[in-house]
Amino acid sequence: MNEPSSDVDTRDRMLLQRMAAGDRAALETLYRAYHGGLTRFLSRLTRRADLIEEIVNDCFWIAWRKADSFHGDSRVSTWIMGIAYRCGLKALRQRGDEPVDDYALREGHGPSHDPDEDRELRDWLGEGLKHLSADQRIVVELVYGVGNSLDEVAAIMQAPVGTVKARLFHARIKLRNVLPALAGDAPAQRENRS
Amino acid sequence: MTIEMNSGKDCARAWEIMPWALQATAAPGQREWLMHHLAQCEACSAEFAQQSRLRCALSLPTDVPVDAERGLKRLLERIDAPGAEAAPARRWSSGRLTRALAAAVVLQAIGIGALGVRLWSDQAPQYRTLSRPALLEPAGALRVVPATGMTLADWNKLLHDLGLRVIDGPNDAGAYAVVPAESASSSASALRKLRADRGIRLAEPVDNTP
Repeated sequence: MNEPSSDVDTRDRMLLQRMAAGDRAALETLYRAYHGGLTRFLSRLTRRADLIEEIVNDCFWIAWRKADSFHGDSRVSTWIMGIAYRCGLKALRQRGDEPVDDYALREGHGPSHDPDEDRELRDWLGEGLKHLSADQRIVVELVYGVGNSLDEVAAIMQAPVGTVKARLFHARIKLRNVLPALAGDAPAQRENRS
Repeated sequence: MTIEMNSGKDCARAWEIMPWALQATAAPGQREWLMHHLAQCEACSAEFAQQSRLRCALSLPTDVPVDAERGLKRLLERIDAPGAEAAPARRWSSGRLTRALAAAVVLQAIGIGALGVRLWSDQAPQYRTLSRPALLEPAGALRVVPATGMTLADWNKLLHDLGLRVIDGPNDAGAYAVVPAESASSSASALRKLRADRGIRLAEPVDNTP
């Protein structure tokens, strides 16, 4: 899902067609293909693993039931991400959780002593995302993490393109102001040192 | 909020292109222009490096542990649970269900409306207003027109003395319909007495037959 292509979308459309006919194996394949990406996407809304699992399952429950209603107006990934986004917001509303507070309270990333570069990147990212609203985090995730276009993000969030563009702009401004300080040293220096 | 960059419009243009260049969805000409600009602009070059790092960080798998196989097992259990249909093709979509419920509501509304009309027509009210058309007077009813100068007290006394009660009127001609309070057999006697009374201008039996 991170590298969307026409091949991937063709595969996904075939899986949806099979799901519409009641093919559970197709459901299992699609579930496994999207689980990682959806989990990461939803982790921008909440850090609760149990809630993320529930939202992913709600999403695929709907996808299973509505597979025959997918008419190919968008990529399958856009359709599924849109369902997941709405399920995520609904789940948080039902629990009275605020995505922003939930994220900020549970992120809990302090300075990492883990030498692993991935861990360091996650810490850096986690601290930076704390400064964004939930909507801004979602837009950043979809554009930078998933690789969606503005039109696709607008379809997923069911928001006007202009609104998405504004969210992305403000998110980038905030990140531009906080990320360098969080990095501690410049990326170029880090590369030279390693 | 403004973007504080060194070279004005070029930097703003570079800012716009960066995400799409990182996605490799920017037009080839745009990407080429951006690379040229970054080679000349230290601020934009640093910004692009930071955005590259941001994309790299966002591409990492999440650190929230969610077991895919356990989740899938639960989803399949949910699908297999009693009440959940097995195959999507055989299921009613929520849209169809909504339409069916709406149709049921409309049918109920029509039924209730028909029942209301029926009840309305069957149950005449126990009262009537003076603006309603005159009722068909019962047998023995008399039509009486009091004289202009007759007081209400005299009219009431006369009705009381003759054992009559008003059931309708006055109509446009000032006529009242009265009936004997006790029985129809006394209406002829009442008619004679009414005609003999100076306060009564007209007294006649009501004939309902056409």
